[in-house]
Amino acid sequence: VTVTEQQNPLLEGLRVRRRPDPCLLVIFGASGDLTTKKLMPALYALAVRRLLPEKFGIVGAARSEETDDEFRERMKKAVQDHARDPFNDDVWEELAAGMHYVTLDFADDKGEDDLAQTLTELDQERGTNGNRVYYFAVPPSAIATLVQEIAERRSAEGSVRLVIEKPFGHDLHSARELNSLLQQSFEENEVFRIDHYLGKETVQNMLALRFANGIFEPIWNRQFIDHVQITVAESIGIEGRAGYYEQAGAIRDIFQNHLLQLVAITAMEPPIDFTADSVRNEKLKVLKSIHTPGPKHIVRGQYGPGFVEGHEVNGYREEQGVEHSTMTETFVAAKLYVDNWRWADTPFYMRMGKRLARRETTIAIQFKRAPHPPFEDGGSELRPNVLLIHVQPNEGVSLAIGAKAPGVGMTIRNVHMDFLYGGAFREGLPDAYERLILDAMLGDPTLFTRSDEIEEQWALVDAIVALWQRDRPSFPNYPAGTWGPAASDELIHRDGRSWRRH
Amino acid sequence: VEATLTVEPLSESNWTGEDATIAQIERELARLRIASSGEDAQPNLRTSVMTHIAWVPAQWQVAAEETLAGMGERHPSRTLLLVPRPEKDDGLDALVSIRCFPVGERAVCGEVIELELRGRVAEAPASIVLPLLISDLPVFCRWRGEPPFGSSELEQMVDVVDRLIVDSQEWDDLRYDELAQVFDRVAVSDIAWRRTESWRFALAREWPGIAHREIEVRGTRAEATLLHGWLSARLGRPLDDIALAEADSVGVQLDGEDMPRPRPLYATPSDLLSAELDQFDRDRMYEEAVRSAAR
Repeated sequence: VTVTEQQNPLLEGLRVRRRPDPCLLVIFGASGDLTTKKLMPALYALAVRRLLPEKFGIVGAARSEETDDEFRERMKKAVQDHARDPFNDDVWEELAAGMHYVTLDFADDKGEDDLAQTLTELDQERGTNGNRVYYFAVPPSAIATLVQEIAERRSAEGSVRLVIEKPFGHDLHSARELNSLLQQSFEENEVFRIDHYLGKETVQNMLALRFANGIFEPIWNRQFIDHVQITVAESIGIEGRAGYYEQAGAIRDIFQNHLLQLVAITAMEPPIDFTADSVRNEKLKVLKSIHTPGPKHIVRGQYGPGFVEGHEVNGYREEQGVEHSTMTETFVAAKLYVDNWRWADTPFYMRMGKRLARRETTIAIQFKRAPHPPFEDGGSELRPNVLLIHVQPNEGVSLAIGAKAPGVGMTIRNVHMDFLYGGAFREGLPDAYERLILDAMLGDPTLFTRSDEIEEQWALVDAIVALWQRDRPSFPNYPAGTWGPAASDELIHRDGRSWRRH
Repeated sequence: VEATLTVEPLSESNWTGEDATIAQIERELARLRIASSGEDAQPNLRTSVMTHIAWVPAQWQVAAEETLAGMGERHPSRTLLLVPRPEKDDGLDALVSIRCFPVGERAVCGEVIELELRGRVAEAPASIVLPLLISDLPVFCRWRGEPPFGSSELEQMVDVVDRLIVDSQEWDDLRYDELAQVFDRVAVSDIAWRRTESWRFALAREWPGIAHREIEVRGTRAEATLLHGWLSARLGRPLDDIALAEADSVGVQLDGEDMPRPRPLYATPSDLLSAELDQFDRDRMYEEAVRSAAR
């Protein structure tokens, strides 16, 4: 008997965790790295915390031939290698009992029929009531075919949720086509476009920081904030993904999704509540308010050979699978404006790239200087206050303030007040995929990107890419292990500002 | 032994003082904190989410210290370990330590202040605790053993702390009627109650059929009594309508059949205490269970 908390007197006071309805999770692309390194460890973490449905099954689907047992064995190793929790046989056995594999050529009707047959049988065996979550961990080219096959075989019974990995299309036109295809057979609330940055605790903490504290929001505007700097820096290269990266480049890989979502969350107005549409409506307004940067406000770069963390590394053009004369960018810096009442004339500087000096994702809110420091000594050295949100690594928040140095004079020095997630909450931060997979099962799309957000993001990227057709920069233009090309520094120096020192 | 360390401290430094004063303790804490980061290093963070007090009569001291060693890593806090020794001459002895744990490239330090309250000082714990609380953060007090209800020291601590944590399994007498009298003054948690949580989930799943079934609850005295009181109160059935028996561990029979044992929600005693330290509001269901059990 299903009873609600209100009806059941024994449930009152128990901390009932959100637990999804029974369902089968189908992973397309089960032989890929994403499944091994992210999805399976996340599912195991959810199992450890008993957050998966009581009646649940996982069906891996991919082109490679594999038996159920081989699939389970491979997934077991994935959990042992990548999970954040110690391996527990009982938890694993429970999870593995509902795990199956179907060999599937995505363009092959028979494979889809086999999958449908397997799912129907599992419904009987596991009591999952026809509820399905389909996770598309596949290249974009395979998505349309799979969506059509799922739509054709959709039964009237049970819920369907489609979780779609980035990239969602490769430009505005293709994104619209894909949205249109999805909308022919599925409701918007059945489509979950993943941007895993939104699943990160620290990104959600930006919402808590802004809207759960009374002290920040009154100064969160052009009157008090000088500018915002967002950095999404990776020290790694393309890790053997030349095929994907040559098509995407930094602008499609990071800027189009993660970076614009970080801008949206930083700049959005307070939503009236924390429902999916309220939050996404506010983010959409920001995306619509960003105007296309002019050619002087955007810089692209490509890394050459250099040293990263003491190791000599190849330049991008020497990476395996990359053309020797490729013009694909591995770095983008930009100055954007959010043209609305709150942010008019406040620049948002952003930079992102591969093979930079270190791995770091931060949002820095730099406040205006104190109008008139009355001190004789040290006043000129006073730096402005900076609220720094560390998205990764060392997740937390710090505030740079001026403080009097001990001594007889009035010397002011900058100090940091730090809040480290790991210091205050020793729970261990969940991986973004844990939260997002769970939310998809629960049907909560708050932390997923809506179709109109995706299209706004692509519209901006298409406009920037169109600008780039007009010139041909000299690549490579920054050595691996540095903070990007000199033009990136010039972009911000022209305004009398500089990138944060690291 | 109640807890095991999950992460070894990076460093630990101590100061011991006989007949110490609060000013000395505060001064030594500051000195140790600065010294813990070493010369030329970035200062370690003092991160605190609470002041955690443990009232530890001498017979509980070893177990309590081991538990607290595990808690420092989980709940960065200022911990005050109060050991009452009323039989000794008046005075206050202190052992102050800073324990730093790695967090990424930095270290986060917690403070542990062990205080032996000698002679009449043991009758005035609030006067020691109040100046050592961290401002604006919640104050939890784990009272080891059976609280001396009505005593001056307990009354003082009830007025100082936000949450009183007991484990009624440590009590010789289940004095729930006296415990219930402090509910309106301080939020109370009971680790014995927390241990029954997986069973309460399991029993909730039996609703609505359980309302009319024959029930027998068994277990250690505290756990079984609390579960029994809770079922009676929540199902609106008289206490003697639900059978109660003592056993080594909790079990429930419905219509004469044993319910499957649910998987425990907390693996170690440290997990149990940790769960209590994460709860800030009053536990109305616990209060109801206690009042029902005390009838």
